[in-house]
Amino acid sequence: MPYYQTWEEFARAAEKLYLTDPMKVRVVLKYRHCDGNLCIKVTDNAVCIQYKTDQAQDVKKVEKLHGKLMRLMVSKETHSGAMETD
Amino acid sequence: MVLLENDSFLTELTRLFQKCRTSGSVVITLKKYDGRTKPVPRKGHSESFEPADNKCLFRASDGKRKISTVFVNLNSFLQAYSNLLRAHMDGLKKKDKKSKSKKTKATQ
Repeated sequence: MPYYQTWEEFARAAEKLYLTDPMKVRVVLKYRHCDGNLCIKVTDNAVCIQYKTDQAQDVKKVEKLHGKLMRLMVSKETHSGAMETD
Repeated sequence: MVLLENDSFLTELTRLFQKCRTSGSVVITLKKYDGRTKPVPRKGHSESFEPADNKCLFRASDGKRKISTVFVNLNSFLQAYSNLLRAHMDGLKKKDKKSKSKKTKATQ
């Protein structure tokens, strides 16, 4: 279960994993206020990628990634490239 | 597992965050949902089910209590959800200014 060191790599890998099988992938977010850390996991029950942080600046990034994945889930397009309407 | 309306889910999520400020963790799960209410049958017969493509399932838990909701129209929710996360996840470390000043001293 690899913990990614940089947010950019994690975000890219998360999106890629989601696009391989949208129905299987789930995103899990665990926040501990008492310890002051945040852990995100994206998995399709075969591949699992994680990112851990204790930095406030990462909250915004997490929330943006959540929004992006939510929009992918709700859109009827199967490919993210097709989200732009011509 | 309590299935709630979208607004009640946000309210309950706020309550979960507030409850867990002193101890414990809040776990939020997000998954694409196709609207099935029955398990996948072993042999054939899955033709009678029309999978919806545009819903997502949200779950939240504090270890004891579980809540969930299904979303179809995201736009109104997304703003509220982002604000909620940003407002409550404030126990993390801010940018370390000390290390920055150390770096500037080292370069001089």
